[in-house]
Amino acid sequence: MRHMRLPRSQRPVRLMAVGLLAASLALTACGAGSRTGAATATKVACDFTNPSTPTTINVLAYNSSAVDPFSNTMVASCTHDNVTVKHDPIDFAGQLEKTTATLAGDTGTYDVVETYTYAIPDLASRGKLQPLDDLYAKNKDKYALGDLDPNTLKSMTYDGKLYGLPMQSQLLVMAYRKDLFDKNGLTPPTTFEELRTDAKRLQDAEGMKYPIALPLLSTADLDTAFAAALGSQDSAFFVNPDTKKPNFTEEPTAKALEQLKSLLPYMDPQVTTFDQPKVQQQLYNGKAAVAVMFSGRMNDLVQQKNTKLYDKFGFAAPPAVFAGGKAYSTVSTDGWSIPFNTKVDKDLLFEVIGASVSQEASQASVPAAFPARTTVDQSASPYAAATKDSLAKGPTKEIQPYVPAVSEAIRPVLANYMAGKIDVPAAQQQMQAAAEKVMAAQK
Amino acid sequence: MKRRQFWALVAPSVVVMFGFMLVPLYQTLRWSFESVNYGEAGTFIGLTNYRAALGDARLGRAVLFTVGLTVVASAFCIVFGYVLAALVNKLGRARPLVLGILLISYVSPQVVGAVAFSWLFDSNFGGIVDYLLNAVSGGAFGNPLWFTSTWPNRLIIVANVVWFMLPFAMLMILAGLQGVSEETLEAAEIDGASPLQRHLYVIIPSIRGVLGFVVLILTMDVIRVFDSLIPLAPQSLTNGNESLMVYIYRVAFSEASRNLGLGSAISVLTIILILILLFPSIRNIVKEARA
Repeated sequence: MRHMRLPRSQRPVRLMAVGLLAASLALTACGAGSRTGAATATKVACDFTNPSTPTTINVLAYNSSAVDPFSNTMVASCTHDNVTVKHDPIDFAGQLEKTTATLAGDTGTYDVVETYTYAIPDLASRGKLQPLDDLYAKNKDKYALGDLDPNTLKSMTYDGKLYGLPMQSQLLVMAYRKDLFDKNGLTPPTTFEELRTDAKRLQDAEGMKYPIALPLLSTADLDTAFAAALGSQDSAFFVNPDTKKPNFTEEPTAKALEQLKSLLPYMDPQVTTFDQPKVQQQLYNGKAAVAVMFSGRMNDLVQQKNTKLYDKFGFAAPPAVFAGGKAYSTVSTDGWSIPFNTKVDKDLLFEVIGASVSQEASQASVPAAFPARTTVDQSASPYAAATKDSLAKGPTKEIQPYVPAVSEAIRPVLANYMAGKIDVPAAQQQMQAAAEKVMAAQK
Repeated sequence: MKRRQFWALVAPSVVVMFGFMLVPLYQTLRWSFESVNYGEAGTFIGLTNYRAALGDARLGRAVLFTVGLTVVASAFCIVFGYVLAALVNKLGRARPLVLGILLISYVSPQVVGAVAFSWLFDSNFGGIVDYLLNAVSGGAFGNPLWFTSTWPNRLIIVANVVWFMLPFAMLMILAGLQGVSEETLEAAEIDGASPLQRHLYVIIPSIRGVLGFVVLILTMDVIRVFDSLIPLAPQSLTNGNESLMVYIYRVAFSEASRNLGLGSAISVLTIILILILLFPSIRNIVKEARA
């Protein structure tokens, strides 16, 4: 017997409606989840003078296990009386774009922005950030800001003025499989030569195809890796600070390029698609035994919920590219800045960011972060010693307004080089040309 | 209907169209002739942006990739969409359930679907397809590098676009099939037409208008593919799989220069390209309407 049929004119409509409804119901069964972790964050004193009218403070800060404790503490502690602090989840790339947009005009969307060492000179030189020296002096005692590491304050300073209040620093740190290293009589490599030797040993003895994992994503991380390899040959900068002429045709660039490529036989052939989470994944899965990433990623490795290998990792300063050189490392301090175009009272904003980097807030961020405060007890952090070592052995920083633009300009060239499309001399020429174009635009 | 009533009903749509379409279009066109810094008024520079865009080999590569993807993915969607629609059309009570399942990929956020899709090929996240192809077949397929090698990467991009757009094509064609006269089909059957002949000579000609509409929408959607390429084509900068929209986004918002003017010029050129590609479909639809 045939089933009942609708009149022709109604059937297509009914059909679509039922189909879409069924699909929508299937999808909406999945909950959206919490937007931030502020509900469970550490609460600290945030005693600002209550504004006379309701005030919303919009915070722009990317999400990571190292930054979240500070953002969440800010939201949880400073949302009271007439003040509401808002922070929506966003990734680092999104933060970069929104920073550009919010600082573009006379009015912006955000009242507090997360900034970092390499962004400060560019933003400050263009008048996009509020100098904080007076506010810092005014609140120094109240929030014990004198305990902040002077180096981190220096990292947030441009042309003698403070533009950011440091919360924590990120350094490149090496994570390695201590169990496999011990089993094979290996010690953490101190040079790239040792790194290659150790990797070869792990390939042969453990059958591990790709023992090394580095974040070399061609659209984001590659220039950071190159800068670390260049910096490891100390005093090798992108651009000569005196003549403002790019240095990419010089020998250190050739060596940095060659050394980065020398690791490819020990890395996944698709390593140029690896961002830091993917490198973490390689370590979680036991596919890699050595990785160099920013310190903010290290605490994830020792969490049992992430990997069954959580108790097998050791941490050390990254190796030097050449014996006797500086570590393949870089340091960037994350901090809070106040945009030039915010309409919210600056005193109030500084109190809010001051509270978020207080002693209690900083202590609560351990071991996820490497806080800027010198008074924080980091004995609970499995990687803090390695981070300090990385800081001590790291290269001289090139902190100039043009560095971010030059970094982005050379990235496609580095991607083509790592993909094997161009050789070292061609890469050097193209990087030089790209950087010269940026420097010409800077004038 | 009185003139006043007509305008009262039409005005909201006109305002929305003006605000959300014409103003951005005008702004894009204007910026394409200007040097623009974020937050500042642009400076007129004539055709400089267009010269820069047309002189960039990257634009040519992006056009080739995008048009190729559009043609291949649309062809797949039309053929398989028709087959699926014909099968679903034969279903009884199970039809709503099957339709609901088929539509999940279409109503899920594209970037979420693309991330999940990428995991099928990424050994870091299980990579079940990669595993089946390599481990089970003993590497007979040569361990393809799905995310860095040009053609394997294109394969997964096409597969993802088809997976995402196929339900739409199927649904539209199914609606068209519902309108095919049963008398005509019975007449064709009595005349001795085989099932294949009935499809080729009776059904397809009678839903030509629907098929034209599907091609139109597919072309517009696939040519604007963007978010799914973020997880699926992380190496697009070097392996030639950069779509027009990704190229525009990078030029305007993410690369060193953050060149809104150049990005706008490429956008205008893209609009022209879309109009060229859509011309046959639009002409057919107009013909159908007049017939």
